[in-house]
Amino acid sequence: MKRTPERIESLAAEYVLGTLQGRARRRFERWMMESVTVRQEVWYWEEKLGMLASEVPSEVPPVSVWAAIEKRLWPEQMAANDAPPQGKNWFWTGWSLAATAAAMVMAVLFLQEPKLPVGSQLSGAIVQANVSDPLWLVSESAEQRLLKLRPVAADPAQSGKDYELWIVPEDGQPLSLGVIPAGGVHQVTLTDKARATLSSSRTLAISLEPRGGSPTGAPTGPILHVTKLYEL
Amino acid sequence: MAESNADQEYLMGLLVAVSRQDREAFHELYQCMASRMFGVCLKLAGQRETAEEALQEAFIQIWHHAREYHRDRGTPLGWMMTIARYRTLDLMRARKVRQSSGDQPIEQMHDERAGPLDESLRSAGAAELTGCLDELTNAQRDSILLTFYKGLSHEELSTALSSPLGTVKSWIRRGLLALKRCLEQ
Repeated sequence: MKRTPERIESLAAEYVLGTLQGRARRRFERWMMESVTVRQEVWYWEEKLGMLASEVPSEVPPVSVWAAIEKRLWPEQMAANDAPPQGKNWFWTGWSLAATAAAMVMAVLFLQEPKLPVGSQLSGAIVQANVSDPLWLVSESAEQRLLKLRPVAADPAQSGKDYELWIVPEDGQPLSLGVIPAGGVHQVTLTDKARATLSSSRTLAISLEPRGGSPTGAPTGPILHVTKLYEL
Repeated sequence: MAESNADQEYLMGLLVAVSRQDREAFHELYQCMASRMFGVCLKLAGQRETAEEALQEAFIQIWHHAREYHRDRGTPLGWMMTIARYRTLDLMRARKVRQSSGDQPIEQMHDERAGPLDESLRSAGAAELTGCLDELTNAQRDSILLTFYKGLSHEELSTALSSPLGTVKSWIRRGLLALKRCLEQ
């Protein structure tokens, strides 16, 4: 088939639209590899027709998608985080049996907030019952914007469930900070939006969700813990 | 959201960092873009499982190919939306997944395009495109929008519009060329 400008124009448009299929599509992809003119025609249509895509309403994907991406890109790191602490299973099991209704939760937060004066921090604690050990410790490395949640005495979520960490804004939907891995350090990079929300509401929550996290992007299970942070 | 020049510059900065294998920038990029892209995947695939997998594939591709972005490919946002769309179409073709709502009336397609939009999305370019779409015949416009939003093949479009294959092919081809002429004016 001859590559006339008209044909390139037509095929590029249908390639981007998606109606160019099968052998014709593969042949056109070869044309793209061979000619910058053909590629430019494709880019033209990607940009123009792409504007239709920008009119589609947003939809929050489940947390499990990000987890799956991390797992595929960095399997070693994820495997290390997922592995239960060696030799400690008896402890976690014992804890989960003992700590049911009277479960106490305490998380201490040290959170460097760039928008606050230099050196100031946010901190807080969640206490459900009158016990003193924290379940998780949370810290943030300011220059990396990394929020770390380190388990101290947290019991793993019941089988088939996961804990999910949320920022609770002053109004609107809670913002997921991801599923808290059992027995591993949970690290979250705070976006500007997340940091702004947290610095104004200063409220975090932990909910019990299906394995992999809330399927809807909002908490679906019981809210187990809510904590208000304070500026030191 | 990420539609102003400042936002596009920010996304560009993230893409550059991602091309240098910066994982935190990648996570930030995900947080900025995932919902926008997922909206497109979901609308196209019509079911969550395929949409979620397509979103995953799109971000894997962005991680590996961020350096292939350049200005000729449109805005960073547009480039990523295109990737999301292509990966969804790939999965749909591979699985022949068709949403159960695939037979919905065409009026509805049209309404969605004209529906209430986030004001910030009404960039000059989108308005221009909408203006040119309005100049097409109804059949041409519906064919293009149905294929774009639903990922229909010529054959499926022919069924959906109860029109001969040759006719819908020509609606699309002529519609696209007319669209380009209008956009180039």
